[in-house]
Amino acid sequence: MRVIIADDSVLFREGLARVLQGAGFDVVGQASNAEDLDRLMARESASLVILDIRMPPTQTDEGLVAAKRIRHQHPEMGVLLLSHHVESHHALELLGQSPERVGYLLKDRVGDLGEFLDAVRRVGNGGSAVDPLVVSQLLGRKRSLDLIEDLTDREKSVLALMAEGRSNDAIASTLKISPKTLEAHIGTIYSKLGLEPAGADHRRVLAVLNYLRSS
Amino acid sequence: MTKAQRRVIQAGALGIIALACFSEVKFRTLPGAIVPELSREWYLVLADLVPGSSFVLAGLIASSLRPRNRVGLLMIGVGVGLLTRNAVLQQRVGQMSVPAEVVLHFVSPLWAVLFLQLLLAFPGGQLVSRVDRAVVRSFYVVVPLAAILAVVVASYPLLGPMGQPVFDIKSPAGLIYFVCLVIGSGLVIRRWFVGGRARRRSMSPLLWPMVPITIFFVLSVAAVLGVLITPVPLVGLKNFLYSLATVFPLFLVALPVGFLVGLLRSGLDMSSVGDLVVKLSGGLAPERLQPALAEALHDPSLEVAYWLPAQEWFADLEGRRIEPPAGDSERAVSVLGDPSSPVAALVYDSALVHEGQLVDAAAAAVRLALENARLQVQLRAQLEEVRQSRARLVEAADSERQRVERDLHDGAQQQLVTLLLSMQVTKAEAMRHSDPETAMLVDANIATLRDALGELRELARGIHPTILTQAGLVPAIRSLTERCPIPVDVIGELGDVRLAPPLEAALYFVVSEAITNAVKHSKGRRMCVSLGRRSGLAIVEVSDDGVGGAELSLGSGLRGLTDRIAAVGGRLMVKSDHAGGTTIHAEVPCG
Repeated sequence: MRVIIADDSVLFREGLARVLQGAGFDVVGQASNAEDLDRLMARESASLVILDIRMPPTQTDEGLVAAKRIRHQHPEMGVLLLSHHVESHHALELLGQSPERVGYLLKDRVGDLGEFLDAVRRVGNGGSAVDPLVVSQLLGRKRSLDLIEDLTDREKSVLALMAEGRSNDAIASTLKISPKTLEAHIGTIYSKLGLEPAGADHRRVLAVLNYLRSS
Repeated sequence: MTKAQRRVIQAGALGIIALACFSEVKFRTLPGAIVPELSREWYLVLADLVPGSSFVLAGLIASSLRPRNRVGLLMIGVGVGLLTRNAVLQQRVGQMSVPAEVVLHFVSPLWAVLFLQLLLAFPGGQLVSRVDRAVVRSFYVVVPLAAILAVVVASYPLLGPMGQPVFDIKSPAGLIYFVCLVIGSGLVIRRWFVGGRARRRSMSPLLWPMVPITIFFVLSVAAVLGVLITPVPLVGLKNFLYSLATVFPLFLVALPVGFLVGLLRSGLDMSSVGDLVVKLSGGLAPERLQPALAEALHDPSLEVAYWLPAQEWFADLEGRRIEPPAGDSERAVSVLGDPSSPVAALVYDSALVHEGQLVDAAAAAVRLALENARLQVQLRAQLEEVRQSRARLVEAADSERQRVERDLHDGAQQQLVTLLLSMQVTKAEAMRHSDPETAMLVDANIATLRDALGELRELARGIHPTILTQAGLVPAIRSLTERCPIPVDVIGELGDVRLAPPLEAALYFVVSEAITNAVKHSKGRRMCVSLGRRSGLAIVEVSDDGVGGAELSLGSGLRGLTDRIAAVGGRLMVKSDHAGGTTIHAEVPCG
């Protein structure tokens, strides 16, 4: 998989490139700001861009702006946005209407390489990845009328993994349950929360996140 | 002007009147007058003598009442001009010579220029506007030159039936006179309209006499133009105007009277200063001082500027810095008190310049009150300064927080994450060399490092949340509520336009502190953050259903918030009782 990395720290870029190459990815270019990234993308064909939310010149949300632009101009391209802080607001803004080929993760996630690479692959292959911290915050959030409290712990775990963008197979193997049991859990969750069953894995990410964020 | 000089002028003016009377008698008794049957009519005698004499006499009265004002002298000048013109006219009858013609034509329009100067300088006596000065000076040259021109190139009768020079627009001189007349009238009209109420008040007695004079001029011009454009001369109308012209000087009598009345009226009754003193004795609030002074001096445009010795500038009543004008044709400035350390400055209509005594009297009356008011202004100015410096302090603290957060982000956080990556590489190497012990060790370090990163993230967030700068107040508040252990509803909106960063920071920290307090102390089961924007205010209210008992005086948290909100010009209110929980209301002006 051909990957482009954009981050204003050269050390981080090099480190990430090395880790990705070690895992069999093809890092075709590195950029230190959004302009360089644009030039690089015009030159190289890649299927995934990994970029930091804060980049020069203002160090605020250049990365987010660039990510949204890329998603609009190159819908076939995967975009993984990294940040030292994660916010549900940014997650939903980035996902927009179509949660395909998009991810939003804490930078610290490189500390758990297996999970990180799994997320990178998922985004590169057309899926989505939402940071577990965003999901746990939304799940742990207290509401005045809380239907989440009606879920069992197992159902909550399933819901969290769904919100992170995992596929059914991945959820089943993570929780060590059979696909059939999982489907039963999902059915219960939908009916308890009053959600319309949403088809594909990435479609339900949006439905679940929006549900969790609304009061 | 000394007293002796004034005496000489007075005597001279009276002498001219006597000479004019003598000339009149000689002219009327002259055998072979042009129109004998008319020459002894009493109204013609009056028409010759009364306008000039009335100007001279009124001028004499004016100059003795207001010795320092040049209006009196100008009036005498106009009168003398009129009388001389008549006398010369009378003396030349029967003896036409070029020098006599030149003198006649030189002298006769001079009174009109003096008259224009009088109108423009009234009531102060000085030509204050630069334009007025330039025009009047040039008229003193142009108009007599036009008179000489009239004699030299004249190829038609220059004189009317009574021997007076005729205002004839067809001649080059007439054209010049006409242009001068238009320019002069324009200046007078402009002066009326740009002048303040004080000036109009003193000019108003001239209005009525000016009406018939204006009508006459308009008719004359109309007649001349009529003669010009109709092939057959309107003899009847022309004759009517000629006879009107003979009695016209009588209208002029109203003018010197008007000038005198106007002059006395502009000598604003000292009684208004008396009223002012009475008002002051009853105690006058500083904000009533300016209107009271304006009323006493009949100048609603009057302004008071207070001197602030500490800042060394003038300020208005609110303590805001103002720059008094340097004093020009429209506005005059009087500085009260010792010039090196004044009390205040009065800025007023320049028509009052020549009422120095009155302005001084009024200023002396309010001097003490002005001193008091100045102290108040000084206090307000200091408060304003403190307010600004407090705002600067808070802003500096905010940007310092932001800088620390940025340093953490670009420094420690970034370096630790990079370290995580290189540990991953190390771990992979260890695995490759079949060294599971090292790999486990590295794994343990990675876990510690991730904890450290987590703590660092929370620390940075507390110092300054990035989402506040990245996405604004509402997403930042939502993010706060997502982390809150009790349910928080967020209702209302703050509009699409983001608030200024200091306002966003102030309101954010209010909500953050209020939520923290509620979680710690309120024992409430739910909270509500309501947002709103109305009449130039951004309003944020945080309420809980807990036990209440929060007070502004208790706990430095709420106290600090009050200061923070006040620093951006807003206010914070806390309502807390055992029945209704706690409500913290913050509002800031957002333009």
